Amino acid sequence: MEQMQGILWVLLVYKIPREPTASRAAVWRKLKRLGALLLHDAVWVLPATPWTREQFQWLAVEIGELGGEAHLWESHLLLNGQAEALVHQFQARVEVAYQEILEDLSQEDADLVALSRKYQQVRAQDYFHSALGIQVRERLMSARGGFTS
Amino acid sequence: MKWVTWEQVGVDRIACAWLITKYIDHEAEFLFVPAGQKPLPEGAEPFDIPGVRLSHHRGHCTFYTMLREYDLRDPVLQRIARVVDEADTVQDVLLEPAATGLDVICQGIRLISPDDQVALERGRLLYDALYAQFASEPTQE
Repeated sequence: MEQMQGILWVLLVYKIPREPTASRAAVWRKLKRLGALLLHDAVWVLPATPWTREQFQWLAVEIGELGGEAHLWESHLLLNGQAEALVHQFQARVEVAYQEILEDLSQEDADLVALSRKYQQVRAQDYFHSALGIQVRERLMSARGGFTS
Repeated sequence: MKWVTWEQVGVDRIACAWLITKYIDHEAEFLFVPAGQKPLPEGAEPFDIPGVRLSHHRGHCTFYTMLREYDLRDPVLQRIARVVDEADTVQDVLLEPAATGLDVICQGIRLISPDDQVALERGRLLYDALYAQFASEPTQE
């Protein structure tokens, strides 16, 4: 728990003109693709890694180019238990997605190509290495059929 | 001429350095500063640093910006730009399966290199290889 309190987060707050809506939507989609969490409809958060830091930095530049304004911070959570709660929120979201893949895999005509692609996308957002991810990976490998070794 | 970028080069900066030496400035000399350091050294052209001319623009990587800024229209380079875009930026549409692998390999090259200079030199082989392979395939863009 103390260890989780030590986690460093990157926070992005931004404002972007209402029009054109396509720009707003593009920024939103990127945040979703990064797997960022939106807190209180105001702050987008990701665990800080060189990669997330860089991605948020470029996104902040892009928001500026689109006529908006963005602020980017790095910070620790100070209140007891909040880091843990946030990690759980990140975990819960990827686990829902992993669970969907597992369910689809149990269908007889499962589309393995699409499901393995979806697995890769979810894994890219799996910042805290959910155990369910390993299970999905194993199921995908055994689902490919043919030779077993 | 001198060129400057942040330390810990990755897929985009290795690609840019390759492009610079090969197409823009054969005598290019590269300097590296810690991420975020200001001011940048005078007399050196900065690249892949937020806010400078040769940087990400409109959601595209710096390599892509360089092709535009230096008017390089070779379709093979355009395709490499697409790969670097997909490797280095968040994209909805993914058309180049080489992108993910290239990103991982570039990270690995930095890991096994004693410094950024050596990483750029080693990375050149990758982009020479990518160029040769794409040039041998029918043009797609």
